[in-house]
Amino acid sequence: MKIQKSLKLAVNILLHSKLRSWLTIIGIVIGVAAIVAIVSIGEGAQVSVNERLGGLGADIVTISPGFQRATGNFRGFGDGEGSATTSQKNLTNKDIQTIKSVNNILFVNGIVSGRADTSYLAETASLSIQGVDPLAWSNMITTGLSSGRYLNSGDTNMIVIGSRVAASTFKQSLVVNRDITIEGKPFKIVGILESSGNGDNIIYMPIDQARDILNKSTDYYDSISFKVADASQVDAVVNETTQRLMISRQLLGKTQDFSITSAQAIQEQIQSVTQTFTIFLGAIAAVSLLVGAVGIANTMFTSVLEKTKEIGIMKAIGAKNRDIMAIFMLNSALVGFAGGVMGILLGIGISTLLPQFLGGIAGLGRGGITTVVPLSLVIEAILISVLLGMLAGAIPAYRASKLKPVDALRYE
Amino acid sequence: MKKSLIKLENVWKIYLMGDVEVAALKDVSMSIDEGEFVAIVGSSGSGKSTLMHLVGCLDLPTKGSVFLDNKDISSMRESELAQIRGKKIGFIFQQFNLIPNLTALENVMLPLEFQNMDGGEAKEKAMALLNVVGLDDRMHHRPSQLSGGQQQRVAIARALSTNPDVILADEPTGNLDSGSGSEVLSLLEKLWKQEGKTLIMVTHDLNLARRSQRQIHLKDGKLWSVKT
Ligand SMILES: Nc1ncnc2c1ncn2[C@@H]1O[C@H](COP(=O)(O)OP(=O)(O)O)[C@@H](O)[C@H]1O
Ligand SMILES: [Mg+2]
Repeated sequence: MKIQKSLKLAVNILLHSKLRSWLTIIGIVIGVAAIVAIVSIGEGAQVSVNERLGGLGADIVTISPGFQRATGNFRGFGDGEGSATTSQKNLTNKDIQTIKSVNNILFVNGIVSGRADTSYLAETASLSIQGVDPLAWSNMITTGLSSGRYLNSGDTNMIVIGSRVAASTFKQSLVVNRDITIEGKPFKIVGILESSGNGDNIIYMPIDQARDILNKSTDYYDSISFKVADASQVDAVVNETTQRLMISRQLLGKTQDFSITSAQAIQEQIQSVTQTFTIFLGAIAAVSLLVGAVGIANTMFTSVLEKTKEIGIMKAIGAKNRDIMAIFMLNSALVGFAGGVMGILLGIGISTLLPQFLGGIAGLGRGGITTVVPLSLVIEAILISVLLGMLAGAIPAYRASKLKPVDALRYE
Repeated sequence: MKKSLIKLENVWKIYLMGDVEVAALKDVSMSIDEGEFVAIVGSSGSGKSTLMHLVGCLDLPTKGSVFLDNKDISSMRESELAQIRGKKIGFIFQQFNLIPNLTALENVMLPLEFQNMDGGEAKEKAMALLNVVGLDDRMHHRPSQLSGGQQQRVAIARALSTNPDVILADEPTGNLDSGSGSEVLSLLEKLWKQEGKTLIMVTHDLNLARRSQRQIHLKDGKLWSVKT
């Protein structure tokens, strides 16, 4: 019998099957849905992590006072307002010198940050200020300029502003060469950054002026960031820097009183959060698919039993064993296919809802993770379910094909 | 001189019911010629269906040999037997045995599809046959939407579809009222006469049996008498 005729008969059996046999599809549906959710959230998380950290670069390391476990550290990451915890010793010029003495560090940027009242055309807003080393900062920043230039060493009363500061702080958008007033002092905007999801709300200025405005002493830094010559050396450089700081800060034998975090480490942490979900959903998927396969096998056994007489009739009118085998295998494959299609739809549904929770957990904020459902995933999911259906149906179909014609015919 | 198409030599069929052996056929020998119309009679349980199943290659004898076209069916593989069932033999059953979820047309096409016939050709042929049995207006009905007589006529069309040499009818009128029963028999007789097919029919009804050329009487699995 030709394959398309066998398929037609298999479709006929499927369409006339009882509700009960449709229910056994649920296992496959849930399994496939879980797989689709895992992959699409995983891919989506990857995309948003890269987007968020892309602005920082994997070769950038940040040091802040107070020892925090890294998990708490990336919540406010990128705000520039170092989330200082315990009243630990500040970061000082001595620390900058120590860091500069480490090999393979290209630039070191000492940062002070805080909020300051900013006014423009009779409007006032409290905005985040970052005082930076103009040269180091200009070389380390990966966010592009939408207009103007970065800061130069020797700039005074000049600022570069984030895209949101420019676009949505004041009624009128800010543009290059406009003057704004910060804590009563005039500043000229020399550059506007592109939107990057990182530092869009910040005003960057030379550190001396920031100290002045924020009332911070000349030997004080809220954080220090540095750029490693090569991303592959980040771990080694972090270790070396940590050791030297421990010595220079006279902390040998005591607990560390500063935090040192690389973008790489943050990335790894976010990945570990999504990995937890992947493992969790993966377990659900595996169990569901197994249950689904057993369910299909069970339904197929029942179906073969119910159709014993028909199998006998078909054999009496010329069906070969392999015809019967093909019909039932295809039937089972179709059950898998149907389960796969429903599973994909459910999975897409889940993957659009779950990030709402997941985003909060990962500290990325609501909508922080978008999901991606690649076409290859859809095809793979369907393949898996069809294959599973055929696997589950193999033994029942084989049994059906081996039924003796007379016995099958006499079956009531 | 007519050619012998079916030959049974000392055929035994023994079923094992637990530890008890039940002999459904006991040392039966007979020969049926090409183009012959034979009726097989006997009371219930006398082994008539068992005999039909052997002749129709649905089962193999426990002892003895069944020859079809001088070939011993016990020596054939299952796929060869399936081939013979599909091409050379047309079955008609007391219970009609149509596939319930297929239409009359699809049921008649099915044996042709098992023979890999092209879809369009199979359809044409099946339609012509349904026309012959007078059901051209019932092609797209399912078995449950047809009367017993109509279902049996669909079954006859199905049995004829691959143009087999032998028609095996196991109590074809057993589930029908006398009116549609004689209609079905007339149809079978007509096919036998016009198409020159070999017709073997099991029946209870001695009036129907009388219309055959030869009556073979089974009793308790043994060949009891042959009446011409
Ligand atoms: N599969 C089987 N297992 C055991 N006994 C069987 C089987 N098939 C038929 N028989 C027995 O063989 C005998 C003949 O059956 P059958 O050929 O169906 O008779 P008939 O068709 O003449 O009524 C009966 O006694 C029946 O019970
Ligand atoms: Mg019988």
